Amino acid sequence: MRFNSLGARRMRGGMVLFGAGLVLAVGLSLPVFAADATPQPLAFVRTYCVECHGPEAQKAERRFDQLALPADSTDALVDLQDMIDQLTLGDMPPSDARQPSNEERQAAIRALTEAVAAGRARLRTTGGQTVLRRLNRREYLNTVGDLFALNMTMFDPTMSFPRDQVAENLDTLGDVLQTSGYLLAQYLDAAEQVVERALPVVGETPPPVQTWKFAGNFQQQPELRYSHGKVHDFRYLCLYEATNSEKHEGAYGPLLAFADGVPADGFYEIRVKAEAKHRRHPYDPAIFGMDPDAPFRLGLVPGNRAIGALHLPQPLEPELGQVVVRDDEVDWYTFRVWLDAGHTPRFTFPNGMDSVRNAYGRILRVHNDMFPPETRDTKGIVESRVVVMRHGQLPHIRIHEVEIHGPFVDHWPPASHRIVLGDEPFAPERTREILARFASRAYRRPARDDEVDRLLAVVESRRRQGRDPFEALKDGLKTALCSPAFLYLAEPETAAADTPARLDPYALAARLSYFLWATMPDAELTRLAASGELANTDVLMAQTRRLLESPRADSFVASFLDSWLNLRSLGDMPPDRGDFRQYYVFDLQSAMKRETQLFMRHLIDENESILRFLDADYTFANRPLAILYGMESAVPPAQGHEFRKVRFDTPQRGGLLGQASILTVSANGIETSPVTRGVWMLENLLGTPPAPPPDDVPVIDPDVRGATSMRELLVKHRDNPACYDCHRKIDPLGFALENFDPIGGWRTHYDRRTPIDASGELPDGQAFSDVAGLKQALVRRHDQFARMLAERLLSYACGRRIEATDRPAVDAIVRQVAEHGQGLRTLIEQVVASEPFLTK
Amino acid sequence: MSIAPHTRNRRYFLKAAGITLALPLMESLSPGVVRSGLAIGSQEGQRLAAERPRRMVAVGNALGFYQPAFFPERAGSDYDLPPLLAPLAGHRSDLTIFSGLDHGVKGGHFAIHAFLSGVRSGDAKAMPEGNISLDQRAAETVGGATRFSSLAIGSEDGIHGGCMMCWTRSGARVPPIPGPRELFRKLFVTDSADDQLRAADRFSLHESILDAVHGDARSLHRRLGRRDQQKLDEYLHSVRDVERQLELSRQWANVAKPSPGMSEPANSDMVSDLPVLYDLITLALQTDSTRIATLEIAGGFESNVFGLRKGYHSLSHHGQLQENIDGLLVLEQYQMEQFARFLARLKTLEDGDGNLLDHTMVLFGSGMGNANAHTNNNLPVILAGGGFQHGQHKAYPTSGAGRQPLCNLFVSMLQHFGLEVDRFGTSTGTLTGLA
Repeated sequence: MRFNSLGARRMRGGMVLFGAGLVLAVGLSLPVFAADATPQPLAFVRTYCVECHGPEAQKAERRFDQLALPADSTDALVDLQDMIDQLTLGDMPPSDARQPSNEERQAAIRALTEAVAAGRARLRTTGGQTVLRRLNRREYLNTVGDLFALNMTMFDPTMSFPRDQVAENLDTLGDVLQTSGYLLAQYLDAAEQVVERALPVVGETPPPVQTWKFAGNFQQQPELRYSHGKVHDFRYLCLYEATNSEKHEGAYGPLLAFADGVPADGFYEIRVKAEAKHRRHPYDPAIFGMDPDAPFRLGLVPGNRAIGALHLPQPLEPELGQVVVRDDEVDWYTFRVWLDAGHTPRFTFPNGMDSVRNAYGRILRVHNDMFPPETRDTKGIVESRVVVMRHGQLPHIRIHEVEIHGPFVDHWPPASHRIVLGDEPFAPERTREILARFASRAYRRPARDDEVDRLLAVVESRRRQGRDPFEALKDGLKTALCSPAFLYLAEPETAAADTPARLDPYALAARLSYFLWATMPDAELTRLAASGELANTDVLMAQTRRLLESPRADSFVASFLDSWLNLRSLGDMPPDRGDFRQYYVFDLQSAMKRETQLFMRHLIDENESILRFLDADYTFANRPLAILYGMESAVPPAQGHEFRKVRFDTPQRGGLLGQASILTVSANGIETSPVTRGVWMLENLLGTPPAPPPDDVPVIDPDVRGATSMRELLVKHRDNPACYDCHRKIDPLGFALENFDPIGGWRTHYDRRTPIDASGELPDGQAFSDVAGLKQALVRRHDQFARMLAERLLSYACGRRIEATDRPAVDAIVRQVAEHGQGLRTLIEQVVASEPFLTK
Repeated sequence: MSIAPHTRNRRYFLKAAGITLALPLMESLSPGVVRSGLAIGSQEGQRLAAERPRRMVAVGNALGFYQPAFFPERAGSDYDLPPLLAPLAGHRSDLTIFSGLDHGVKGGHFAIHAFLSGVRSGDAKAMPEGNISLDQRAAETVGGATRFSSLAIGSEDGIHGGCMMCWTRSGARVPPIPGPRELFRKLFVTDSADDQLRAADRFSLHESILDAVHGDARSLHRRLGRRDQQKLDEYLHSVRDVERQLELSRQWANVAKPSPGMSEPANSDMVSDLPVLYDLITLALQTDSTRIATLEIAGGFESNVFGLRKGYHSLSHHGQLQENIDGLLVLEQYQMEQFARFLARLKTLEDGDGNLLDHTMVLFGSGMGNANAHTNNNLPVILAGGGFQHGQHKAYPTSGAGRQPLCNLFVSMLQHFGLEVDRFGTSTGTLTGLA
């Protein structure tokens, strides 16, 4: 929120009424600009501005003679930004007043811009300390899952939580994350859902294993009722479309006879008799948009009828499994998956087509001669559907039979019971002990007596209201989940005499755990906190490595990339369906996000250099991505959905700048903008965000009628040296990426006509001919990149912004990492070992 | 320029026609609740609620309206009707077009959330009432008189978070109810007797929980530094908010919800849902389920429903290209048509000595001035109904002595709503020339 830190523009008359009818400048003896001892921009202001905006006159109700730097109020910042805007536009000083030289003007703009940045930093400082930070939504979700040992794949009690506040894309900043009455009401609801789910009343023995068989009478969805009834009397479930399809006709194969789902939580064995039909078909492949070489894959997702129709997408729809289905050969396939009670399995076709609904008519039109003469004049979707299904060779997965066995449970009573109640069965006299143990885990430190007393007070009050002892205990647990001790990371410090203040070991364990696992500390970390051993650097480093090696660190990789590169916003501006059909059919959005995550994960696992982010000769791709990158042969069709490490032969693609996720999130889904991408790079790769453009300037009321290419359009910036001062830093970076279209495909021309010129020159004079050259230039600036990355990691880990006082710590990290080969894992370890991480 | 009526309109009208508005107008459902003095704001609330209820609706979008097709050239009662105002031709005497009003804030997409508050969220701390929005300010006073003190409705998100129009006094966003289905359930689906018992039990549970966690917060407070204490105050405020809400819910839990005379609508996209949401707002006012509603049009309102290739946001960056402007106008025209239809519905419904529109002030506009330039000045603003003297295009100077902040209009509205206020947000008084 770049503009937000600027103050409210005060309401005053004549906001931008400058220019007309100004009094002539009187020849006062003004201080000489260069020789003045006051900060440079103030000298400029006195020389050129104060005469009309000072003690004598306050034109446009502005007065600058009392302006002091650094700016200490939002009002002062607004004044400074106004000055920058007016100077940039060339509107001030007015033409009939004394004029600064171009150099003076540029220098003043630059100095004022720096003053604004410094002023903003002052206003939002948290004194180099982390402000009491509440768990964000994803941390809350992971934490309740761990607290109760719950399987969370199809349970999300945070669905109604408001979106977390972010600043600079970070969702972990203590001073930024807010709590509201609305959120607290959601916490109350979520606590109820979680506790009731974790501690249902259970019998002595696990629920019995049952078998359900389904064959025939496969009703699927209203749109297919008529045709499936007519063509095969509902003998098959038929999957036509990918789940990302436009209209979802045959995108899901629900078992409507099993719509209420399984009766109990547990693992279920799901057997399905299926075949892939007409993968080889005689039609124009463009009708379907599928990868003709890829074998059909059958997927499995859960569905919940309480949430919505089972033939349509649902908000929580994890893929539980996938198998390759043999062509034209009926066979049995088996999935073993976890299902929550009330969830029913639904089959999907991950590499199905985009729209079977559009395909019927097109097949009939394009391949009319392949149909029996009496059907060739068929019109209308209803009859076309029947004709194509009956006489045509529509590619689809056909399911003949389904069997479900289960539930199979590993433990009884369920793990969520034992983790809260211990191995003993519940007894009312154990209430206090159970609450104290639970609260100590929930609060990530030993619970205080008064805290346990308050939980117990709730339990007792509920018992007086007639709840039975076990239900009342559950109400006590719900209370703990709404306590600030659970919802906030308080992070107290221990300050022994003669030693520097340090986070207390429990707070340190929590910080480390939320950094690398985005959840509460596990038993080992908690034990090391309790014994105090965690304060030992070797122990801390060993734990850092242990956490990083675990698959649970994947949540760090994903969340940090969301926060650093704003991958969270992927999909906020969805690409055009007409131009980028493959984005939907092949679910490129998930694939590209996964690519970047696997790439970062690889750098951590192998401790490879952070410079690989800037340039690398490999990436991780599944088949759809490989096709997008023009290297189809690198991923064979049979394993098309799996990601594998692929190497590039050309230097353009490697590194983040060639990854589709970055290229998509920095475009708007319709077209690319060198300015947007250039700003994205300055902000996220170089750590030098440009100043915001002035408002009300003609150049940002874009008029593209006269321009034939983006480059010509942006060259107009050169007309105004003040604009160009920033745009010479922004535009070349963005132009280097113009060979990549809005979803990251390679292109050499706009609209097949205008060739793309990706060359440019950096402000320091380094020239490049395309993105490969730019990447080399960036690699040469590795210190700048390393510093930026270290600051982002530190900021993410500590939950606060990095301030000027952190500079020595950041420098030390960057130096250490450079001395040890620039490894990403080394960098993360150095962040953990740094002073800011170890203190509040 | 004219925009041919599209076949899509008919379809949406048909879809929306499932809702019948032929209900008898219901009186306030529970005068007892009001008399018992539970209305938030006590005295003022009681007085207000005893009179013919006054109502307020505010509608906003995220991308504004193409200014040359929105603002009339002539001021006064003889103003011309630019293309976007054409759908409102039949309502001239019931509304006022304003030009030259804004909040004097900057930030493009990042400032539109100040539309109903005048204050950006980041600046709220410096303001005496934070960035509380118009609807929430009004709701504070009449709160408990109706089941819902206010209803925030519409897109939950959108470009850079969407409209984000409604804000509480403590600076928290009030998230909108996203779709017709959820709104319908909230308004009209009454819990079963069992559910009501369970609800009563939950109220008791939540009271106990809030007592305990309030104790935890006070205990934690003592162990924290100053900055952390300030942060924890958010939590303490939240506890009080929820307690107050709990008390109101408890009162209303035993009152049956009104019957809507329609079946539950399904959610679609924001374009198709828009007429349904307007109809549900009408029903909510008519049944006195609330007196204050807001409608945010942002995420989910997309151009592909109209068969346009470029997205709404892309079109708003029209770059002066006529084909882009034409596409943009299709989207904006539709919003105006639905707004006009809403006004027409309100007018057909009797309410005391007049119609429902007479007693409902309806604000329509955006926090975005010119989306192509990302400016937040000279905002599109229309005020309809509510008993004001309408029929004019009131053009205020965008600079100089006669310049007025948009918040002055909000002060006028709040006063008309019955509140004794003389300032709101960045106001300098009431709006001159509005009676």
